[in-house]
Amino acid sequence: MIAGLPLSFLEPMLLLGLLSLPVLWWLLRVMPPRPRRIEFPPTRLLFDIAPREETPSRTPWWLTALRLAAAALVILAAAGPIWNPPVGASASHAPLAILIDDGWSAAASWDARVKAADELISNASNERRGVALIPLSEPTRDITIMPGGTARVALRQLSPKPYSIERTESLGTIDRFLKATGDCEVIWLSDGVDSGHGADFLQGLKKVVGDRTVTVFEGGTAPALALAAAENAAAKMTVKVLRAGGGVASGAVRGLDQKGSPIGEAHFGFAPGERETEASFDLPVELRNDIARLEISGERSAGAVQLLDKRWRRRAVGVVSGSSADVAQPLLASTFYLTRALSPFADVRLGGHGAPQQAISQFLDQKLPMMVLADVGTLSPELRERIDAWIERGGVLVRFAGPRLAQADDDLVPVKLRRGGRSLGGSLTWEKPQHLAAFAADSPFAGLAVPKDVTVNRQVLAEPDAVLPTKSWASLEDGTPLVTGEHRGKGLLVLFHVSADVRWSDLPLSGSFVEMLRRIVDISGYASGPAPGAASAASTETVAPLHILDGFGAFGPPPSTAKPLAADFRSRATLDHPPGFYGPADGPLAVNTLAATDRVTPLDTSVLNARRASYTNSEPRDLRGILLTTALALFLIDAVVVAFLGGGIAGLLRRRAAPAALMLALLLPMAMPAPTRADSAADQFAIKATTQTRLAYVVTGNADVDNIVKAGLSGLTLFLAQRTALEAGDPVGVDPAHDELAFFPLIYWPVVPGAPKPPQAAIDKIDAYMKQGGTVLFDTRDAIEAPPGENGASQTPGMQTLREILSSLDVPELEPVPREHVLTKTFYLLRDFPGRFDTGQTWVEALPRNEDDDTASRPARGGDGVSPIIITSNDLAGAWAIRPDGQPMLPLSPGEPRQREFAFRAGVNIVMYTLTGNYKADQVHAPALIERLGQ
Amino acid sequence: MVPAAAHNTREIEAVRRADGESRTLAASLPRLVLEARRIAANVIHGLHGRRRAGAGESFWQYRRFVSGEPAQRVDWRRSARDDLLYVREQEWEAAHTIWLWPDRSPSMAFASKEARDSKLERALIVAFALAELLVEGGERVGIPGLVSPTASRSIIDKMAQAMLHDDTARLSLPPSFVPSPLSEVVVLSDFWSSIADIRTMLGGLSASGAHGTLIQIVDPAEEIFPYSGRVEFVEPENGNVILAGRAESWANDYVARLALHREQIRIETGKLGWLFSTHTTSRSAAELLLFLHSGMMVNKGIARGTTVEAGRSA
Repeated sequence: MIAGLPLSFLEPMLLLGLLSLPVLWWLLRVMPPRPRRIEFPPTRLLFDIAPREETPSRTPWWLTALRLAAAALVILAAAGPIWNPPVGASASHAPLAILIDDGWSAAASWDARVKAADELISNASNERRGVALIPLSEPTRDITIMPGGTARVALRQLSPKPYSIERTESLGTIDRFLKATGDCEVIWLSDGVDSGHGADFLQGLKKVVGDRTVTVFEGGTAPALALAAAENAAAKMTVKVLRAGGGVASGAVRGLDQKGSPIGEAHFGFAPGERETEASFDLPVELRNDIARLEISGERSAGAVQLLDKRWRRRAVGVVSGSSADVAQPLLASTFYLTRALSPFADVRLGGHGAPQQAISQFLDQKLPMMVLADVGTLSPELRERIDAWIERGGVLVRFAGPRLAQADDDLVPVKLRRGGRSLGGSLTWEKPQHLAAFAADSPFAGLAVPKDVTVNRQVLAEPDAVLPTKSWASLEDGTPLVTGEHRGKGLLVLFHVSADVRWSDLPLSGSFVEMLRRIVDISGYASGPAPGAASAASTETVAPLHILDGFGAFGPPPSTAKPLAADFRSRATLDHPPGFYGPADGPLAVNTLAATDRVTPLDTSVLNARRASYTNSEPRDLRGILLTTALALFLIDAVVVAFLGGGIAGLLRRRAAPAALMLALLLPMAMPAPTRADSAADQFAIKATTQTRLAYVVTGNADVDNIVKAGLSGLTLFLAQRTALEAGDPVGVDPAHDELAFFPLIYWPVVPGAPKPPQAAIDKIDAYMKQGGTVLFDTRDAIEAPPGENGASQTPGMQTLREILSSLDVPELEPVPREHVLTKTFYLLRDFPGRFDTGQTWVEALPRNEDDDTASRPARGGDGVSPIIITSNDLAGAWAIRPDGQPMLPLSPGEPRQREFAFRAGVNIVMYTLTGNYKADQVHAPALIERLGQ
Repeated sequence: MVPAAAHNTREIEAVRRADGESRTLAASLPRLVLEARRIAANVIHGLHGRRRAGAGESFWQYRRFVSGEPAQRVDWRRSARDDLLYVREQEWEAAHTIWLWPDRSPSMAFASKEARDSKLERALIVAFALAELLVEGGERVGIPGLVSPTASRSIIDKMAQAMLHDDTARLSLPPSFVPSPLSEVVVLSDFWSSIADIRTMLGGLSASGAHGTLIQIVDPAEEIFPYSGRVEFVEPENGNVILAGRAESWANDYVARLALHREQIRIETGKLGWLFSTHTTSRSAAELLLFLHSGMMVNKGIARGTTVEAGRSA
């Protein structure tokens, strides 16, 4: 057995083989790897180089380490390692005394404990040794040495107890038994939890055992978890989760109601090294009030169960106000402040509209544990008696001062009051408003932070007497009490010497107010009696067990040993009072295994001079197979690495590198998000459009038209290349809605009759394009169908569609191309712009009218820029369209011989116009200018 | 050692690629530049003046008639202006023969990662392109032992076909043959043969007075020796093997040895007035082609004296 590890070797001597590893290391280091083989044409030259002294090439250290690891694994495997070796007592013939921890903390790992004991017993019975079972929870049980079979039966009858056991109590019994038995071997099946006097027990055991062989079983199982100190706080229910040592780091706590149906689950996690954490249920208060049992799921022990009774319910607090203004101005009323202060942790019930007395008697009927009376004056004697009785039984009465209380002659207060009260900081007083000084250390407010910002303007004053300081819970800077309290019977009477609204002080506005009320409400639960109308003799009141937890945390009928307990039982469970519910079924009293302040600590058995053993909850495992397989795998890796280093695979990889890179290149775009692809498509378009000047046309979606237009623009491009310096690229079809238009000087737009109006996005882009200096050439291609009528107006469907398109565009004023327009002179001198038809009129942006005589006589006129729009109906593209073999695609009308030539010339002029602008308008003056310069 | 079949396949591939690439390379050389040079330098391949009297069409000089010459040589028209007899001499024009030798031995198939082409491809591309250029310039081009000198326009096809159907052993250096005295020899090889072999080859080729250029085509890896670690180097042609334990420590020696080898070749070529240059396959093929083209012209300029002497003695 290796210390701390459940590992042992069949042949430990073989482990000496590990000493050979350094030699192996040296051997492996000097053995060179296989060289790379490279074909190298000038090898002949290398022969002439004087061979230099070659230091032996070293194997990389990690490769050596790999091989060494493999070798070490083989050696380890040869030594026959066994995981979880079977436990056993030492070989002797003395009887066996088995001490068993059987408290709640043993329950979770009870099976492992029983299994270990069972193994021990069977080993002992094989060796014909007697066995004595000593459960540490039963100090009174007499110990006998039994044969194995009987001991095994007795073992089956043991079960963990639901409470913390006191091991020290058994020491006497053990001592007697050992003295009677003489030679004996002691085995302690510990649960590793110190639930109190662990150190004492260990010292005692050490003394009692003397020099007998002791084996302590510990570890190997998860340490016990426990729940304690459940609290139904304002916003959530919290419970402390405790653990003895490491082990379980996180888990869940389940909340169940009285009937056992789950209500909620809360997770907890231990910080490393922490033995305590908290689980909180973030549930509505109604649901939280229903929780009757909290348990750690998966942990079967009574300690992992926390039973909740009504003390964990949130209390109802009755609030009664004596003031009449409360209803008129609800936000200034004392009830408002009280409700807001109480509601985080209590259910507030308001007194309603009736008189205060009615409300009070109503609350008394409802048996509320706590009442707040804000400035309620004198009460009727009958009601006084009822209230007194209620306080005696445990009711908590909190009173707030106010004008009515100050004037009333009332003795339902903890201290005797002066009539009237005092006013501070007013115009007729010397004193300044007072701050809060301190909370009394023995009061429920002890430990609260003293607020610095609370000032008190008015208060009721107590008659100074001897007991006043003892009753004073909070006082002002001048020593006068602010809050006084008095225990009456099982109840409590508290008086705030200020009002519950902000007229007397701003205490109700401060956070301390809430905390103070919370403290009082917390008291009220414990102060209230467990059963309404129960017998008045509180001290003798007992409740009988109802449901009792067994050691595994399951409910069962009360065992015979369970005794009734006092109704105010607050302690942890014991043998006589096992954990569970006591009392009536509708309002039971919960008794828990652990009290709120209990903590579990690990048991340190190191003081005991004993052999250590561990609970093994798994079968012994031969590790040889695993080790050999691992070694084999390491050798395999080594082989691959050697092949890699030798270049065999390197060559393979090099040959595969190009395809791999290709694969990577193919895969990468797939991994890219879609927008990138869209961007790259747009980039492609932009690159294509900008590397060469290109003519563009709008794709109409009508395949015939698009083909003709594409062929037409190709023809024009060819013509341009033949006749002019412009060698444009292939024409591009654009979709104005999606494509960037700014790259194109001219966009040819064939208007298809009846085509839907382009979307607004397209219209917007076209508009921007025209504004930025682009030119759109609209061609309705229908001059033959309807020659222009009056003033060029036409009513063809194409025209209608064009009007539809143009209706949303900001189109400038148009005019038919005037004779002197620069468009007629940009390359060829033209009179009109024929296409397939020559009857159509061509419209451009109207030139600015200039009345100047000089301009009127100018041979060419151009605007400031280029006309953003040219409209024709002559089907220019149809005339330009050529087939791939160079022949014209469509016949012309009327078909004069030179018509096609002129159509091309018109196209050239239009393209030149869009490219050069009004340059030609100036150019026509060049001879005159040069002439003038010459002079 | 590369198996012969594998090398053949590789060579066929290289020939096919080189066929295409060399055409584009030749086509890309600006014709105008060539034309301009032809006029300016008056030194160009093909039917051009030899700057001496001989068989030709363009006028060279009138010289006094020497008695004993055939009478029909007398230029009567010139002689009529004088009392003396003159003979009209034309400038001698002759076509050049250029022998190209692209080395196709297995060692040429080597291509490292840094190289664009294998050395074989590069040699073939340049050989084809040069052949095309020369044929266009009117020269006759041949490959010793493979293609007899021809001025055929389809010289690339002819050479490629001949190579594809060549079933002789691939030699590193051109076989021993006797070029005519005025011909040029261009050897494109990696010249990893021993200096004795190279010297023998040079001696054989230059015995008749031919001139030439040796171009050593090397891979970048052969220049810088980028190897490290434990490497076993194999000579592809005869399979000799040498093991370098730490190849990186051999690099300096290798570079020095390489420089020595080149210096030896340079000395050998210098003695004969031949040109020697190196070309790395990571550089452009056009560079080498331009160098060859201009180098041949320069070479002719330098070597004219000897050429003339040789011509006279012949």
